[in-house]
Amino acid sequence: MGMEQAWLIPAVPAAAFVVLTLVGKYLPRKGDWVAIGAIAASFILFLFVLVDLLDVVDEPGFVGGEKSWEWVSFGSFEIRLGFFTDEITIVMLAVVSFISLLVQIYSVGYMRGDPRYGWYFAVMSLFSAAMLTLVLADNLLLLYAAWEGVGLGSFLLIGFWWEKQSAAEAAKKAFTTTRIGDVGLLIGILMLWNEAGTFDISEIFEFAEAGGYGTTYLTAAVLFLFAGAAGKSGQFPLHVWLPDAMEGPTPVSALIHAATMVVAGVYLVARMLPLFELADPIALNVVTALGLTTVLISATMGLAATDIKRVIAYSTLNSLGLMMVALGSHSVTAAMFYLFVHAFFKALLFLGAGSVIHATEKQELDELGGLASKMPLTTVTFAVGTLAMIGIIPLSGFWAKDEILHVAEVNQNAGVYALMLLSVFITSLFMTRLFIRTFLFNSRDPESRDHAHDAEPTMTVPLLILAVPAAIGGFVVFSGVGEAMGFPGGFGEFVYLEHAEEFVFHWDIVVLSTVLGVGGMVVGYIFWANQAEPARRMGEMFRPVYNVLYNRYYIDEFYQFVIDRIVLVGSAAISWYDRNIVNDTGVDGSAGLTGFAGWGLKFTSTGKLPNYALAISAGVIILALVFLVVKA
Amino acid sequence: MIPIDNFLVLSSILFGIGMYGVLARRSALLIIMSVELMLQAVSINFVAFALYLHPEAFTGLVFAIFVIVIAAAEVGLALAIVLRLYRNRQTANVDEADSLKW
Repeated sequence: MGMEQAWLIPAVPAAAFVVLTLVGKYLPRKGDWVAIGAIAASFILFLFVLVDLLDVVDEPGFVGGEKSWEWVSFGSFEIRLGFFTDEITIVMLAVVSFISLLVQIYSVGYMRGDPRYGWYFAVMSLFSAAMLTLVLADNLLLLYAAWEGVGLGSFLLIGFWWEKQSAAEAAKKAFTTTRIGDVGLLIGILMLWNEAGTFDISEIFEFAEAGGYGTTYLTAAVLFLFAGAAGKSGQFPLHVWLPDAMEGPTPVSALIHAATMVVAGVYLVARMLPLFELADPIALNVVTALGLTTVLISATMGLAATDIKRVIAYSTLNSLGLMMVALGSHSVTAAMFYLFVHAFFKALLFLGAGSVIHATEKQELDELGGLASKMPLTTVTFAVGTLAMIGIIPLSGFWAKDEILHVAEVNQNAGVYALMLLSVFITSLFMTRLFIRTFLFNSRDPESRDHAHDAEPTMTVPLLILAVPAAIGGFVVFSGVGEAMGFPGGFGEFVYLEHAEEFVFHWDIVVLSTVLGVGGMVVGYIFWANQAEPARRMGEMFRPVYNVLYNRYYIDEFYQFVIDRIVLVGSAAISWYDRNIVNDTGVDGSAGLTGFAGWGLKFTSTGKLPNYALAISAGVIILALVFLVVKA
Repeated sequence: MIPIDNFLVLSSILFGIGMYGVLARRSALLIIMSVELMLQAVSINFVAFALYLHPEAFTGLVFAIFVIVIAAAEVGLALAIVLRLYRNRQTANVDEADSLKW
């Protein structure tokens, strides 16, 4: 067992999906154990692959393990299908298989009694298989197929409760919004293939390094790739689907819309970063600019959102923006490190929110509060997640966030760095608000609070397990910790683009981010403690600002306006053309003409023998005359 | 030897009479008779050309015998059809047998 067999990791959940779809109904417990067993097997296989990779990672010239087969072959044109394992892949595999496993165990409790319980686990398996294929793919075509596969899984799970109008619409919105980006991704892939003649990622890198692409051409291609990444990873201006995606079951939000699928875009950019480096600097500047915009708008929108899951969704957008800024600052290490720890603490936050919703059946912050005494386990683990998200030393988020701040300080101008620091403060502010309004002080709705209690073990155990890496996962930056676990060193010495980056403690950033983080918590406490009177007064005083934030900068309204006034009007014109010109005139017209000609000509069939005889004779005579003339 | 023109003129006249009969007559029996005339005109042509062009070969003569045999078979078939027509319609007038039309 080793990297050669890495393809088994996605194959097992894929097989589970097939089994559950075909016979899941007839299995005991509707087959949830098939899905969980499959993902557990994937996790164990991942451990074997990890051990195999650690054996060889120190060898000079190691680039990754690969196994591929011929897929399509016409003459000289050939597409290979293959699986590639390297350090970035390992990080993604760890996150995806581990979080998938925990979330599916949690789902046993959360989804109990749902009429489509079995189908839920089938789709979860489909999603896991597609996501694992996505990270292992060695060529862009397979990556694209898996990319659409995770999109399908996301669509099915957001709209899992499709009887609810809002869920069905959210699923549709998520699918169409990400599709806009996906079209860009496809164009980018085809552009890269068109010049290089191969879909294989490492061959494309070799071709690009040999100068095969023109700079302008390459810049356009990578920006198209980034469009796909922006759609999947909810970067401004394609971020609008992610908050609405919270209509899905909460474990789905934890797995797909926090820990795994939404970081696919980050993974894509990280994987393709050598191309971004070779392209014009404008490409990475676009990545930085959109990432930073996403960071700022999501943090401010999080201040005004009232739904517990939406607030966490905004914090996810915030984190994704941070990762993009890290990539824009040329650092795969910082981005992948944040991705790694973010998966744990964000999944923890979502599963904690799921426990709250499960216990109270309320999602509005105004109706929650005072749950700390009723749900101690949830409260403690949620607090760990919140502090990690804010970035308080020594929790995992702190180390990752400071890495990103560091690369932003080094590689970006002072304005970007200042805005990043500002976002630390705002993030702290809205995460504090979330925690206070959910768990502390008195509930606005005491009845639901009184019935609340910590959930059953299938739900609390995953919370406790996740709280461990969320708290201490950041220590993997230290060389000593990494070496103790068998890695070549700390995170930066394992995952990097060109040079290993040994961890350095930057005192200035530590002090600044801690001051801003703690400051945000203090200000947040003052604002939202007790009945949140100061916050309400601030809202009154700056009513227009509050309204803009509450209405999400009117971006959704703007899109709706564009769709209604431009897209639908254009579609109506095209539809009229299609109906009247193409269909009625073109298709129906030619059919009508043929019918009319047939109707006219049928009267020559008189049924009278002499008429036919005359026609035959006349025909023979005419042919004879023609023959004479032509011969002469 | 009689010039070939005479044979050709004879067969043309015979063919023309037959064709006239097919086109002008309305009785099914008379139309069949006219068709027979046209077939015999063709037979005369075969024999004449056979003798004048390739006297050593029998091809044309064999063809003429074929035409006669086929004509006999065809008359048998056609008369049967005409009889059925008469049984059904009490007439052998082809103008009245026009139900197979638009």
